[in-house]
Amino acid sequence: MNAFKPVLTEHIHQKDCHTLPFYKSVGGYKALEKVLAMQPDAVIQEVKESNLRGRGGAGFSTGVKWGFIPKDSDQPKYLINNADESEPGTFKDRLLMNKTPHQMLEGMIIASYAINCNTAFIYIRGEFYKEYQLLKKTLAEAYQANLLGQGILGSDYNLEVVIHRGAGAYICGEETGLIESLEGKRGWPRIKPPFPAIEGYLHCPTVVNNVETLACLPHIINHGADWFKSIGSEKGPGPRLFCVSGTVNNPGVFEEPMGISLKELIFDRAGGIPENKQLKAVFPGGSSSAILTAEEALDVKMDFEDLVEKKSMLGSAGVIVMDETVDMVQACLNIARFYAHESCGQCTPCREGTAWLVKMLTRIVNGQGKPDDIDMLYEITDNIGGRIDFSKGSFGKTICPFGEAVAWPVRSFVEKFENEFRSYIQQVEAVA
Amino acid sequence: MPLLKIDDLEIEVKNGTTVLEAALENGIDIPYYCYHPALEIVGSCRMCLVQVEGMPKLQVSCNTFVGEVPPERKVDGNFDMVVQTQNDLVIQERKNILEFLLLNHPLDCPVCDQAGECYLQDYSFKFGNAHSRFDEDKRVRPNEYLGSQIVINHNRCILCSRCTRFTREISGTSELFVDERGYSSKIAALEDRPLNNLLAGNVADICPVGALLSTDYVHKNRIWNLQKKSSVCQDCSVGCNIDAFYQKRKIFRLNPRENQDVNGYFMCDIGRYGFHRFEDLERVTRPLFKSNGIFSEISWDTAIEKIGDKFNGAEEKVAGVLSPFHTNETNFMLGRFIKGIIGTFPHIEDEEITYPSGFRISSDRSPNKRGMHDVCPSIVDDLASEINDKEIRVIYILDNEIDKEIDETWNKILTKMDFIIVQAYAMTRLAKSAHLILPGLAPFEREGTITNDQGRVQWLRSVLPNNGESRPDWEILNLLYKTGERFSDINELMKGMGEQFPSYSGMTFFKLGDQGLPLNGNLKT
Repeated sequence: MNAFKPVLTEHIHQKDCHTLPFYKSVGGYKALEKVLAMQPDAVIQEVKESNLRGRGGAGFSTGVKWGFIPKDSDQPKYLINNADESEPGTFKDRLLMNKTPHQMLEGMIIASYAINCNTAFIYIRGEFYKEYQLLKKTLAEAYQANLLGQGILGSDYNLEVVIHRGAGAYICGEETGLIESLEGKRGWPRIKPPFPAIEGYLHCPTVVNNVETLACLPHIINHGADWFKSIGSEKGPGPRLFCVSGTVNNPGVFEEPMGISLKELIFDRAGGIPENKQLKAVFPGGSSSAILTAEEALDVKMDFEDLVEKKSMLGSAGVIVMDETVDMVQACLNIARFYAHESCGQCTPCREGTAWLVKMLTRIVNGQGKPDDIDMLYEITDNIGGRIDFSKGSFGKTICPFGEAVAWPVRSFVEKFENEFRSYIQQVEAVA
Repeated sequence: MPLLKIDDLEIEVKNGTTVLEAALENGIDIPYYCYHPALEIVGSCRMCLVQVEGMPKLQVSCNTFVGEVPPERKVDGNFDMVVQTQNDLVIQERKNILEFLLLNHPLDCPVCDQAGECYLQDYSFKFGNAHSRFDEDKRVRPNEYLGSQIVINHNRCILCSRCTRFTREISGTSELFVDERGYSSKIAALEDRPLNNLLAGNVADICPVGALLSTDYVHKNRIWNLQKKSSVCQDCSVGCNIDAFYQKRKIFRLNPRENQDVNGYFMCDIGRYGFHRFEDLERVTRPLFKSNGIFSEISWDTAIEKIGDKFNGAEEKVAGVLSPFHTNETNFMLGRFIKGIIGTFPHIEDEEITYPSGFRISSDRSPNKRGMHDVCPSIVDDLASEINDKEIRVIYILDNEIDKEIDETWNKILTKMDFIIVQAYAMTRLAKSAHLILPGLAPFEREGTITNDQGRVQWLRSVLPNNGESRPDWEILNLLYKTGERFSDINELMKGMGEQFPSYSGMTFFKLGDQGLPLNGNLKT
């Protein structure tokens, strides 16, 4: 039934899969040995050719990102592993850290070597306490085995890895917010330019990569860019961890090639919807992506391009399924509330707009909606996130993409389920 | 140099100039709140959005840098960047941002101190909607003291974060920070670390709305009642440039005025609130002569006659006491007139403070020590012993702040004098010991030049009018000369001073302007 053999999660069901001996027994750190014999530029080239795109949400080419690091700068360079997984409906990085931390660490060492970095950080979500404890052991194992520290595996390459725990803010998963937080400041995203590759952590060139992105690297080195490109969609290839949650029989993380159909993911891998209820809507890529109606969901491939065509996005590949019993107005309020709570408060539209949305949606849910509210919801979301014009790229209005992250899903709820919003408001009118 | 087209204007700008800077320098009005030229760019208020040709979304002009681009990327053949600041898209966006800013902002302009000089008010009139579309409850919070002199009205705050950046970057004291998150964000200081540094008053100035208020000025007056004159602070030898706001005979507040060669954009609270000590003084407004221990009013002519009598034939036995608080012109006139010895009282010294941004409060808390020495090179080191040695019997004192420096030694010296002349504006302890008091002007009434400790000559302008029969201090000294030897006006005096002291030659008020000029011959240009 499933010809695809998992790459990142192949061994996660085996005993002690998180330990160094186990990881080495399945070929772990072979890629690192290979990389240490390569020129850093050759590593960047290989990753560029693999067309690996970031797994955190934005889907930017990893090799290109590394290429932005200035070669002639004598400043220290930094790699930050973004393990601040906070997107609602996303829980893949946590799995990778729990089950195969060495795979991620090997990827970190490879990436650090490629960008000539000697200090790397793991910025881990504060709530991941168990994973934090495990990673400390992982690092200890690695130092013990000379996979970290001075003269790694007999080469002249040195690398220190430091774990830093976040303090529970969603916005610290945004790369510049993360850097600020790592510097000990308030997690307020920075205005760009300059981009982190030029001025990041402590004003030094910095690359921020997601856990899953890093975990892909050993495999690309071991099997080559062409092998990686042969998996899944052409414009964004490779294996991908899809998190399926919501009203499904078998929620969980499923590793599939890019471009698997959403229908297969929900009805095959995740076992369909309980009690044979009807599918109503799906978030394809975490709660920041525009919601898809059942009709759209059944006709979409899970890759970067196809979802953009449906005016949504692959994001963090956190699939949240909603069946016919879900009240879309309440769900919309729930999402808006999350974003209002997590807005950092720096930019005017996001700080004021998210709270306005919550106040208005609360009023509608409480049966005090007005007919004008629908138009206002469109306008407010446009004013926070900008009109979604995919032909011209996103039309964000804030420093970081948080504005879009709240505006797009909320707008998509109103747009696609306007009737439900209207019926809340009409009830009021009927009573009045 | 990159060629920038901004609306219809085509201008060459320095490489790396921001669009906002270029616009403001060329008289194009782009509204902004979070930007401040002295502070780090954060680009968070989103008010300065403009449309840049070739970029899909509107850009914040405060963080859009103009640089030279290769020929193939030039816009319309020869421009390095083409910017629209006034088109429909941009104007609509300003309206949208203003709507957000005003959602929770109270409509209390009639009682707000910022009204009349508020950018939120101005731009709301210009771009805002007449009616609010916000049907929900506003966020309401009580006012709070952030420090002993600064109070915050949270409801008016638009969270531009200028104040927090100020305490981080300029004062380096970091008392202010943003507390909470998102919609609940608010400016705060820790209870045990209040905003009490000596630059605290500046946060009220840089606040673009009426959120941060100086308790010294709050609800005291309205800006449209006040008149403004630019002058120079007289509370230390740095000489910060200031604007004094006054109504009739009363100063209501001082604000720093930009001068990149002196104080940047800021001033300290010592100077800011210093003007209060000249209020409620017992002013001297007529020449006063003491006989049998009682002062009685006399005319200027009589006063001048009496001085002439005392000086006549005993010129060598007269001591003159200069003041580093007085202008170059006044000190020059006294130094020139006195034939005996000239000296000055001990200096007023206090702690020297330099902030991380380079802003400085000098330990020399007088404004013109440098200038006083420049135009009176014969000042003796130890005035007290010289007076004893040379058997001085008559003393002419410029009184200003020096009152507090009178110690026992000086009390003894004064009691030995046959005749004490004090040129003063208030009935100080020193003035009371005089035989003759000549009414001069108080610091904010004076006009002249002062020289700061870096050798910059600045134009001290009078803010308030004279009181009664009091006269400018240089003019009083001018009267001591015979009719033919007097200067006809202060410009002639400055010319005379320049002839005697070449580093001051060519100096006129017009040349000094509102930014002053450095010494060392540059005055001649």
